[in-house]
Amino acid sequence: MRRRTLLTGSLAVAAAAGVSTAAGSVAGTGPVITVGSKQFTESWVMGELYAQILTARGFQVVLKSNIGSADIIDRALRSGQIDLYPEYTGVILQTFALPKRMPVTAHGTYEAAKRFEEGRGLTLLRPTPFQNRNAVAVRSSDARKHGLRTVGDLRRMGRISYAEYPDNITGPLGYDAIVKAYRLSAMKVRPLNIGLQYPALKNGDVDAADVFTTDPQLRRYDFTVLEDDQAIFGFQNVSPVVRRSLVERYGSRLTEPLDAVNALLTEKAMQALNEAAAMMRLSPAKVADRFLRANDLK
Amino acid sequence: MSSALLAAAGPQPVIPDFGTVSSCVRDNGLFCVDWFTANFSSMFGPALVQHVRLTVIAVGVGFLIAFPLALLAHFRRRLVKPLGGLTSFLYTIPPMALFTLLVPVFGLSVLTAEIALVSYTLMVLFKSSLTGLGEVPEEVRRAGEGMGLTRREILWRIELPLALPAVISGLRVATVTTISVVEVAAFIIDQGLGSPIIQGLQSPFNTQFIGAGLLAVALALAADGLIVLVGRLLTPWARTRRTV
Repeated sequence: MRRRTLLTGSLAVAAAAGVSTAAGSVAGTGPVITVGSKQFTESWVMGELYAQILTARGFQVVLKSNIGSADIIDRALRSGQIDLYPEYTGVILQTFALPKRMPVTAHGTYEAAKRFEEGRGLTLLRPTPFQNRNAVAVRSSDARKHGLRTVGDLRRMGRISYAEYPDNITGPLGYDAIVKAYRLSAMKVRPLNIGLQYPALKNGDVDAADVFTTDPQLRRYDFTVLEDDQAIFGFQNVSPVVRRSLVERYGSRLTEPLDAVNALLTEKAMQALNEAAAMMRLSPAKVADRFLRANDLK
Repeated sequence: MSSALLAAAGPQPVIPDFGTVSSCVRDNGLFCVDWFTANFSSMFGPALVQHVRLTVIAVGVGFLIAFPLALLAHFRRRLVKPLGGLTSFLYTIPPMALFTLLVPVFGLSVLTAEIALVSYTLMVLFKSSLTGLGEVPEEVRRAGEGMGLTRREILWRIELPLALPAVISGLRVATVTTISVVEVAAFIIDQGLGSPIIQGLQSPFNTQFIGAGLLAVALALAADGLIVLVGRLLTPWARTRRTV
């Protein structure tokens, strides 16, 4: 799941060589852990969840939110600017590991991603139950009218347009890959930034759209997500990527709270948290705080 | 680890009630006053304070560098061209590129942002200070010498006061420019009004980026007005001349 980034690749290279900086004084006592998060709502919320649970367990935590893209945040982790951040198992394979053959199960994807990260001085903690995958959505009225069930069924609609975010037109999860896998030569692309595809689909400006399965907009509008029977979107559970030295140093004191939070993040829970942050516009910090309190973790 | 962990077989989460929001917020209206006021103290206020702090430091440090350089060039005229060229060169580098160049050296830090911000103020402040110092009519300086003033006294009692209006106008331009560049700095430090603007664009919410954008515009206008006011208080003679 590649998210759009407004930064240049060169900044990624720059950040890689960057020097870690002290980020003011932080509450609590004990070791300082820097949590990072990526550049979209779900990651902001997860970064807050990790930071707040570790703070509640007596760590001093600095949260560096909104680090983009996958490349930049990966370099920030390897260069020690951050200690851990939430990443998608499929993204680790699709962006960094680039294996010849993609695993065909969620578990296989997690194992392969973990093996890859362990070869780089990092490791993955336990993954979330939820996945946030790319998917193809259509208006439910069209799905009924044309009997659409799988992505390939879009051929029945003839000439259609497909909303895709600019970063994802080429690449393994992008428009080109979908056209090729499902032989949708009559489907034209309409580049739209993340978030704008929903109103465009609702208003009929496009006929199908690349969406993320935990996006709260999917619950709000009358859309149908088509089945990816060619399995091109891979599996995307979220797992904290942590520097191994940190796990060796703190052991279960560090991993247990993070595992506890992750275990609670079902698809329904994550969609509710995303909705609170993205649709009700509560701050990610507030959303995370209420969730942790409701589940007696804070 | 068993694959059961990847299925929804674990503990069932309690999903808290996040309350309700106005239809404006829910439908991403153009500008939801209720949300803007509700989030002012937690989001916009702190961002505004950070924005002001980043701007004041940049313009302040920029002035402390540019003004002495202008003085130096005023007394050593052959330095005018190289110093003017150097500050102009710094001014022409695109902000994003400059941040990118500085990150490997100074990290994703306030220091990185400030170095870039200061370098953008130098040209305007250097040129306006130099112009101001050069604006003293030759006969006025001669009159001062005739009255037996030393070079230093001429600088302090004649040249600097007469340079003030030009320095003030340079400060106005530098401050307003810095306020806009600080918004770009949010890409490397999650601070200032650029931060809610970027986030409001990334997870589309009109109120957030329009609100932060309007605050940035208001801040620029207010800062400009404030400097004009201070300038008038510092140069009462200019006012009497204007009223004549």
